[in-house]
Amino acid sequence: MPGDAMLFLFGVIMAAFLLFMMVFFPLPIWLVHRVFILDFKSIGQVIMFSDLECDYINPIDLCNKLNQFVLPEMGAQAFLFAMFLINGSWLAALLNLPLVAFNVQKVTNNRHMYDATEIFRTLSVHKKECFIKLAFYLLCFFFYLYRMIVALIADA
Amino acid sequence: MAQQPPSSQPQRPPYMDPNANRSPGPRPPMGYRPSGTPPPNPAFRQNGTPPLPASPGRPPYPPNQQGFQPPHRPGSGQAGGMGNVASPPPNGMRPPFPPGVRPSMPPGIQAPVRPMQQQSQLPPQSPVAKAASPPANLAQTPSYSSASVPDGPQSPTGSHMSHADHQRRKRMYPQQITQAYMEQPGAAQGYGGQQYQAAAAPANGTINPQYFVPGSQQQQSGYQEQPATPGYAQQQPAQPQAPGYQSSVAGMTDQFSNMGMGGGFQVRCLLCENVSKRGPMTDNFFGTDLAKTSASICVVDGNPPTDSGFVFTTSSHQPTGQCKRYTWWKASITSSPHANTEISYKRSTINAVPATEALLKKSRLPLALVIAPYRSLQEGDDPVPVVSDTVIARCRRCRTYINPFVTFVEGGQRWKCNMCFLLNEVPSAFDRDSITSQPADRWKRAELNYGCVEFVAPTEYMVRPPQPPAYVFIIDVSYSAVQSGMVATAARTILDSLDRIPNEENRTKVAFITVDSSLHFYNLNAELTEPQMLLVSEIDDVFLPAPTDLLVNLTESRSVIEAFLEKLPDMFKDTTNIKNALGSAMQAGFKLVSNSGGKIICLQSTLPNVGTGALKPREDVKLLGTAKETTLLNAASPFYKTFAVDCSRSQVACDMLIFGGQYSDHATLSCLPRYTAGQTYFYPGFNAARTEDALKFAHEFSELLAEQIGMEAVIRIRASKGIRMTSYHGNFFVRSTDLLALPNVPRDQSYCVEVGIEDDIKTPTVCFQTALLHSTCHGERRIRVLTICLPVTSSMSELYASADQQALATFLANKAVERGLTSKLDDARDAIVNKVVDLLGVYKTHILGSGSGSTPQLTLSDNLKLLPVLTLGLLKHDGLRQSSQIPTDLRSNAMNLLKTMPVQLLIPYIYPTLYSLHNMPAEAGEVGENGVNLPPRLNLTGEKLEPHGCYLLENGQNIYIWVGRGVVPQLCMDLFDVKTYEGLRGGKITLPNLENPFNQKVNMIIGKIREMRRGNYYPQLYLVKEDGEPALRLWFLSHLIEDRTDNVLSYPQLLQHMKDRVRLVAFPAF
Repeated sequence: MPGDAMLFLFGVIMAAFLLFMMVFFPLPIWLVHRVFILDFKSIGQVIMFSDLECDYINPIDLCNKLNQFVLPEMGAQAFLFAMFLINGSWLAALLNLPLVAFNVQKVTNNRHMYDATEIFRTLSVHKKECFIKLAFYLLCFFFYLYRMIVALIADA
Repeated sequence: MAQQPPSSQPQRPPYMDPNANRSPGPRPPMGYRPSGTPPPNPAFRQNGTPPLPASPGRPPYPPNQQGFQPPHRPGSGQAGGMGNVASPPPNGMRPPFPPGVRPSMPPGIQAPVRPMQQQSQLPPQSPVAKAASPPANLAQTPSYSSASVPDGPQSPTGSHMSHADHQRRKRMYPQQITQAYMEQPGAAQGYGGQQYQAAAAPANGTINPQYFVPGSQQQQSGYQEQPATPGYAQQQPAQPQAPGYQSSVAGMTDQFSNMGMGGGFQVRCLLCENVSKRGPMTDNFFGTDLAKTSASICVVDGNPPTDSGFVFTTSSHQPTGQCKRYTWWKASITSSPHANTEISYKRSTINAVPATEALLKKSRLPLALVIAPYRSLQEGDDPVPVVSDTVIARCRRCRTYINPFVTFVEGGQRWKCNMCFLLNEVPSAFDRDSITSQPADRWKRAELNYGCVEFVAPTEYMVRPPQPPAYVFIIDVSYSAVQSGMVATAARTILDSLDRIPNEENRTKVAFITVDSSLHFYNLNAELTEPQMLLVSEIDDVFLPAPTDLLVNLTESRSVIEAFLEKLPDMFKDTTNIKNALGSAMQAGFKLVSNSGGKIICLQSTLPNVGTGALKPREDVKLLGTAKETTLLNAASPFYKTFAVDCSRSQVACDMLIFGGQYSDHATLSCLPRYTAGQTYFYPGFNAARTEDALKFAHEFSELLAEQIGMEAVIRIRASKGIRMTSYHGNFFVRSTDLLALPNVPRDQSYCVEVGIEDDIKTPTVCFQTALLHSTCHGERRIRVLTICLPVTSSMSELYASADQQALATFLANKAVERGLTSKLDDARDAIVNKVVDLLGVYKTHILGSGSGSTPQLTLSDNLKLLPVLTLGLLKHDGLRQSSQIPTDLRSNAMNLLKTMPVQLLIPYIYPTLYSLHNMPAEAGEVGENGVNLPPRLNLTGEKLEPHGCYLLENGQNIYIWVGRGVVPQLCMDLFDVKTYEGLRGGKITLPNLENPFNQKVNMIIGKIREMRRGNYYPQLYLVKEDGEPALRLWFLSHLIEDRTDNVLSYPQLLQHMKDRVRLVAFPAF
C-alpha cells in the first residue's frame, strides 16, 4: 500500500473521528471512564448547545465537558495538516490551512476555551462555528476518501 | 464648531466692557441688540451694575461689587468671555469659543423653556414637574438662568422689574454705539444672522438654516421640544422674560401644531396636571404622561410617579387629534392602583410593545426591561405586601404566578393565565381562610391587587432549608493595607457594625481570615477568652487548619470576636510584608462556607501577587486611550472567572472593597462580584488619616454589612407568548436562557434584560413577570413577583410617544459597557451615537414624515427630549470617555457602576447636578414640604460658573464645591471658616458646622444629597478652587458635559453632528 493511500486512509479515519466528536462528543470519555459515566445520554457538541438552550444542561457542566475536547480536536486537526505538509499533499494541506490558522489565532488570543459566564451571549457564534466545522469535516472526509481511492487505483 | 476661525471676533465691538463678558459665553452680547428691544432679561445684570439694596432675607453674597470685582485681565476683553471665567481654559479642555458662537450656546436651554416657564405659572404644580427638573434646567433660557446670576447684593426675590428698567437704560447706550460702530444692518436686525453665518460657515461648509433664520422665530420654536437643537435664532432679543413673551404663548402653542407633538402636547398637559395628581383613575391622560416623561431626570430624584405602568399614547404628529388610550386597568381584574409594579422596581424602555418584530426593528427602539427587584425602601415607600398563607397559584403550563392581570372564568372557579391562556383551577384557599375557616374575600388578596408582591414559599421551593447568613471577612494585612489605616478602620467598622449585621435568629456566622504572604485564620470558639491565630504559610494548596471554630456563631462568640477586632489593628502594625495571597485566601474562605453558602467580603489593598490568582501590575499608560485599552479592562487571570463560577454554584457571593494606592487591577478583581452578584467598592488613594476617607469607607462598609440581603436566589423572567428574553446585563451568573443565579441579592442593584419578539402579538396587552426566589436573611424562603402589563401597539408614533428616556439611557449604558469590554471603547461610543441617530432619523422619517434631506430642526418626541443630553453624558462619562488620562482602575470602576446602578442613581451619575450656592434662593437649604429644599439646578456648562461664585456639583458618588477666584472673603469665612480665598485648600474636605445661616444651609443641602438616593454610596466632598490643583480642576470640569472637553463634542456640536448624520442617512419609509 503506497504512502499516499496510507496517509489518506489515516485522514479518513481522523476526519471520521473529528466528525464523531462534533456530533457525538463524550464518547472518548465514555471509553476511558466506562465505569464512572453511567449516564451515557449526553451527546455531541451540536446537540449539547441545543440542550443548553432548552435548559437540559447547565452552562458550567457544558463548558467543563466541552473544554476537555477543545485542545485534542485542534491537535488532531493540526497533526493531520502537518502530515499532509510532510507528505507534500498540497491540496489537502491547503484545505486544512484556514482552520489551522483560525485555531492558532484563537489559542494565541486565549479565546479557545468555552467560558461559562459568557456562553449565553456567545452561544449563537459557537453554534454557527460548530456547524461550519461539521460541514468542513464532512467535506474532508469525502475528499480524503476520494484521494485514498485515487491513490489506491493509481497504485494498482 | 470648534474650528471657529477667530475671524468672527472682529465683529465684536472691541470696546465692550470686559466686565460684561466675564461670564462665559452664553449671554447675548448686548451690543448686538437692536435698539428699542427690551433687554433679554431684566434680571440679567453685569457686575458693573450699581448694586441694589440687599434684601434682608439672604446672606449678601457678594456684598458689593467692589469687594468681589473679579480680577479680570486687562486686554482679555472679548475672547475673555470664556477665559475669564474658568480661568485660562485648561489645556484643550474648553477652547475659548469665539464670542460669536458662544453666546447662543445654551441650546437646549432655549428650547423647552417656554412651556416650562408657563408651567411654573400654573397654580397647581405637579411635584415632579417642578422647575428644578432638568428639563426645566435644560430649558432655561440664558435669560432665565441669569436670573440667578450673582451680582449685586440682591435678593432672589428682589424686584426684577425696577431692575429691568434700570438695565434697559443702561444698555441702550452700548447698543446704539454698537450699531453706529458696526454700521451693519444685519447686526441690528437679526442678531443671529450675520454673526452666526460668519462663524458657523467655515466649520460646516454650508450655511445651516438652523443658524440663520433671521426673524423666523415662529419656525424656530420648533425646537421647543428639542432641547438639543442649537436654536441660535432663538437668541433673538425678545427673549422669554421680555414683556412680549407672555403674550406669545398662545401663538407658540399654535406653532407647535406645525411642529410635532412636543410643545403643544406639553402645554396641554400642564392644563390637566392638577387632575392627574388625583390618581391614576382620573380621566386625564396627558398629565400623567408629562409627569412621567418631561419631568424626566428629576423624577428619579424625587419619588417616582405612582402611576408607573401607565401608558398613554398619543398620536404624536397630531396634537389636536384625539388621543388613543390604553390603560392597564382594563387588563387588570381589580381596579387597584398598584396592579402595575412601580417603575423603581421594573420599567421598560418602551411602555408599549410593538405587535410585530418588523415594527420593533423598523422603529430602532430597543426593547428592554430595567429591573431592580430588591431595591431598598426609602422613607415614604410602601413595603412590598407579603402573602403569608403559602397559597401560591401558578399556571400549570408556563408556571406564571397569579397576578392582577389574570381573568377568572367559569364563575370564578378557574383562572385564565395571562401569559399562555391556559385555564387553571383556583385554589380553594382563595375563598376560604384556612386558619380561621371563615369565608375570605379573594379580591382582597395582595397578589390580585399588587403588581409587586412577595410570597412566603413552602418547602417545595427549597432545595434545602434556608441557610444561616455566613460572612467571611478576608482582610489584607500587607504593608500598604496597614499603613493606609485600612485594617484599623475596617476592624473598627466591623466592631461597630456587629449589631447591624442581620442576625435576628441568632444564626449568623462569621469568620475572619487575614492575609499577606501567608494566611492567618482565627479560632473564635466561644469557650476561649482570647482569639487564637492559626498561621498557614502553605498558599499553593490551601487547607483549613481547624475543621470547626473558624466559622463561628456571631451571638455565641460575640466576646471573642470583639476581642479579636480590638486587637487586630495592633497585630500587624509593624508588618513589612508587601505580599498578598488573595486567591488562596479566597479558596480558604470558599472552603469555609461552601457547604452552606454565604458571603465573602474581601478588603484588598495590595495587588494579589503570590499564590493562586497572582496578578501583575499590567497597567501601561501608553495603552490608555487606544484600542488596546480593552485588554486592561478585562480580567487578567482566568482564575477569578472560574472561581466566581464555583462560588456561584455553591451559593457563595463575593464583595470586593478595593483600596488603591497604586494599580490594584480593579478590572480583574471586580470579576468576582460580577458573577456572584456581589458589589464592588473602590477607594482610590485611600488614607485613613484623612477623616473624609475613613468616614466614607466606614459608612459604606457599615451599610454593606447592615444590608438585609437575600440569599440563594434565582431570578426568572417570564413574558407573554411571542416574547423572549434575549440577553441579560448585570451582576449575576446566567444559568440558563431564562434563569439568573444570584448567591446573594444585594439591595439596590439593577439588572437590564433585552427583550425580543419572536411571533406577532395578537393580544391587546402583554405581561412581563419577574420572579425572584430567595431566602431572606431571617431564614424565610420567599418569592418576590413583579408583574407589569404593557399595551401592544402597531403604530410607530405610539411607540415613540411611550418610550422612556431614562430606561433607554440605562439600557444604552449597559450595552455600551458590554461593547466596551468585548470590543473597543470607540465602538461603544459609536454604538451609542448611532443608536440615537437612528432614533432621530426614524422619528423624522416615520413620525414627522419629512423624508430624508435637510430640515431645519432636529426633532424628537417630548418624552425623549433628554435622550441626547444623556447620551452626551454617557459619551463623556469616566467609563466611556475618549481620554488617555483615566487610569484603568477608575475606568473599570465607573463601568462597573454604570452596569449595576439603579436608574435613580444612574441618571445623576451620567448627568450630574449643578447648583449655585452663592445666590441660592432664600428657601433653599431649609426644610420644606419634601425635606430639605434644593436650589434650582443649572445647566452643566462652564458658562454658568461666575468667577466670584461658589457652586456645588454632585453625581451621587462625589460632591464638589467649586469656588471661583473672585469669591468674596465673607463667603469663605461663612462657609469654610477661612479668611480668604487664598487660605482655602482644595481636595477632600469636611465642611465645618458654623453658626451662620449660609453654612447651615449648605450643610443641609449636602446632608440631603447624601441621603436622598438609594444605595450605600456616601458621596465624598471635594473643594475645587478655580486656580487650584489642575488635576482636580480638570476632574471637576469634566463633569460639565455640555462644554467641549478634550476632543469630545460640546452639546450643540453633538446635536449638529447628529443632525448632519440624520440628514445623510436615509431611513426607509414604511
